[in-house]
Amino acid sequence: MSGVVTPPGGYFGQALVVDVTDGSTTTVPLPDDVLRSYLGGAGLGVWLMNELGPAGVDPLAPEAPLAFTFSPLVGTPLTTSAKFAVVAKSPLTGLLTDALASSHFAIAGKFTGHDAIVLTGRAAAPTTLLVDEEGVELVDATEEWGLSASDAEESIRERHGRRWRAASIGPAGENLVRYATISHDGRHAGRGGLGAVMGSKHIKALAVKGGKRVSIADQEAVLAAAKDLRGRSFGPATEKYRELGTLSNLLAFNAINTLPTRNFQASTFADAPMLSAEDLAESRSVTKNSCASCTIGCEHIYASKGGKKVRVEYENVFALGPMCEVSDPDQVLDASAKCDALGLDTISAGGTIAWAMECVDRGLLDAPWLRFGDGEALLRVLDEIGSRTGVGALLAEGSRRAAQQVGQGSGDFAPHVKGMEMPGYEPRTMQSMALGLAVNARGADHNRSGAYEADLREGLDRVRGTDEHVRAAIETEDRAAIMDSLILCKFLRGVFTEPFAEWADLLSKVTGWDVDETELRETARRIVQAKRAFNLREGWTPADDWLPERFLDSPLELASGRTATLPAERLRAMIDTYYVERGLDADGRPLVHTIAERESKV
Amino acid sequence: MSVSAGIVLAGGRSSRMGTAKAALEWHGSTLLRHVTGVVGRAVEGPVLVVRAAGQELPELEPGVVMCDDREEGLGPMQGLAVGLAAAAEHSETAFVCSTDLPFLHAAFVRAVLRGFEPDAETPDAERPDVVLPFVHGYRQPMAAGYRTDLAPRILKLIEADRLRPAHLFEECAVRQLDDAHLLSDARLAVADPDLDSVVNVNLPDEYREARARIAPEVVVERFGVLATSGGGRGRQTIQAANLASAAEQMGLKLDGHVVAALNGDQIRGDGRVPLMRGDTVSFISADAGG
Repeated sequence: MSGVVTPPGGYFGQALVVDVTDGSTTTVPLPDDVLRSYLGGAGLGVWLMNELGPAGVDPLAPEAPLAFTFSPLVGTPLTTSAKFAVVAKSPLTGLLTDALASSHFAIAGKFTGHDAIVLTGRAAAPTTLLVDEEGVELVDATEEWGLSASDAEESIRERHGRRWRAASIGPAGENLVRYATISHDGRHAGRGGLGAVMGSKHIKALAVKGGKRVSIADQEAVLAAAKDLRGRSFGPATEKYRELGTLSNLLAFNAINTLPTRNFQASTFADAPMLSAEDLAESRSVTKNSCASCTIGCEHIYASKGGKKVRVEYENVFALGPMCEVSDPDQVLDASAKCDALGLDTISAGGTIAWAMECVDRGLLDAPWLRFGDGEALLRVLDEIGSRTGVGALLAEGSRRAAQQVGQGSGDFAPHVKGMEMPGYEPRTMQSMALGLAVNARGADHNRSGAYEADLREGLDRVRGTDEHVRAAIETEDRAAIMDSLILCKFLRGVFTEPFAEWADLLSKVTGWDVDETELRETARRIVQAKRAFNLREGWTPADDWLPERFLDSPLELASGRTATLPAERLRAMIDTYYVERGLDADGRPLVHTIAERESKV
Repeated sequence: MSVSAGIVLAGGRSSRMGTAKAALEWHGSTLLRHVTGVVGRAVEGPVLVVRAAGQELPELEPGVVMCDDREEGLGPMQGLAVGLAAAAEHSETAFVCSTDLPFLHAAFVRAVLRGFEPDAETPDAERPDVVLPFVHGYRQPMAAGYRTDLAPRILKLIEADRLRPAHLFEECAVRQLDDAHLLSDARLAVADPDLDSVVNVNLPDEYREARARIAPEVVVERFGVLATSGGGRGRQTIQAANLASAAEQMGLKLDGHVVAALNGDQIRGDGRVPLMRGDTVSFISADAGG
């Protein structure tokens, strides 16, 4: 026997760590048990952060690692599997953040021969990091610095060759806006300020090129599974995404009192029809697009009045439209395009701006031009945030830090959890989701906790959270942990009837492991625990698992005549149940034995 | 105020009807399922059905609590005591009704239960034990609100052979709501202007007449792909007694991928959910991801 260990199918068994200060590299072996315990994507990312991230590090310091992680399914013909995660300590929350993006970068990155590429250090000048099968190279990015991410990507491919695929930051990342994104081909690893982490390293882009094929344990079985999954991906479970995209949520959410409006002061928006997918699809041209290896094709790209092509999602429109009470679709589309160009997370941008508008309304902030409903002001303030000028210097910090500076009770209506701005789901009328938002490791987040699913099905009273809501939220959190680590697109989730069993089967076919549903459920819990353990190490306190006061002291009147309230004691009871069900102590800390169990796996 | 329960008394003999009222067909469902569904849409606490021991009932919605009344021949007071005692662990108050109210409206139930709340005009008035509608010149004890802690007092009355609800009303604080008071509730005035909620059916002819009425008028709307893939946008007014009928008229199937929000509130997917006059039914995709 030689000393060479063959990695399981779907993996290369190693992570590449690049110190961008000088281009030096190290290879971190990823043994079978680590991969089996954390899979890839978000799961592998949190393992790497626990291993490589110095405790208590400033997220914008050179020592802070920034991990691009791939997954065992990347490179297989399984639909929606061309995805990657970007993981780091968030400059917005000070805790873990992991954001997903997709398409060719995932395939090219993995085929460099690595399951993850981790950046540390800080380059002396604007730099692009090139990684391929042969090694790494730091190249000058002065030409790209200041460009939008998409222009930078194009420039890099022009300069270095079309086979390179790049994940880039925009000006917001360069200016260390705490909710700057990293994007590839127009799709953003959006949440938590990963773009600022990359900008702090003076890295404009990570470009990858690879042709190193990964082995698959049972190629024939994977091909058959891919064919089956492809067929199912054309069914009713994905019709909404295929036909109208996620923006189709807008009018539906408006009808059910869960469309956050005017910084969560209301849950319906009278002008919602003007911004709806139904209206936009009728009134302007639309192009549909899909990620590499995807058969759903959820992307809907609309033309704005100025001729711009704007990729539109529900979260963009909710955050820049109803949250700021802007109803002109062209202004909302332009604002969304501006966020794309600057490299700004639209949810955090919209939430922070809506908070600032309310501050202006209340006389707490001296920016009289920044008013609810003013689309021109919205566009202006986005520019100021991206360049950290004017009031933008304050708002680039996110709503939590800005509220700490403004004071005067403005923190009570800052729409964030753990510092991350809230997505477009009203927690008072979606109380499974309320819990999911409160306890999630990443902060207010709809992708790591999809508890809205429980609120939108028959059986639970969505305005009266109970222990049942908690269990439903945990189930969706566990599902997300696996989907984000395999990685499969969440828009595919409706096609699985026995998700854990089916995912275990797919994983087994790719890797050659004999994984079953029970093991995969345990893996999900391990990943969720590992995120919580990382946060604990970085200073998380029980008070971080909570919602802003606005949601606890302001009832919402529903059209039905009922009132939606979320009393603090109910939220407390749900969180307490969550801690018990998750095997945490009474303050939400992982118990010693659960940490030991987690560590024993590696 | 704590949440209220709903109690449906299903244990009567139905002798004048000649067949069990609970099982009478009602727009593809049964009368009992319809009435429990209406009550369930109005109260936030549990819905309980009181039946005679051994009485067979039609299928009910999941979550409806069954209570057995083991004493026979004691009339509605016995069932009332059983139901209130069972509801007491969940709720301070309950709306109680019989099975035979085909036009009961959730707005009526809510208006009655609001009678337990302090009245702005008489804030210091005694807290009522019973909120008793006095509709069309008659007391309506089988469509009324009761405090759940009345159960022991009712049992004492039964022991004393005082078996009529009127005997209970003599001994407790009753807040009577007449037609005008009830119709001062704007939602009820629109939803049930004739207060048909208290119309009961005891005879086959009464049932046939009730069944022959057209289904209630409701507003339906479709969103997302349900509107754009051939369904059409905008609001429409249709007649539909339940969700399945509304879905069918809209060309939709409640197959798990499609659900409905009733009046912007609860999400329902069971086609047998009763609809009532004035309802707005919003059909949406079940998957809200994004």
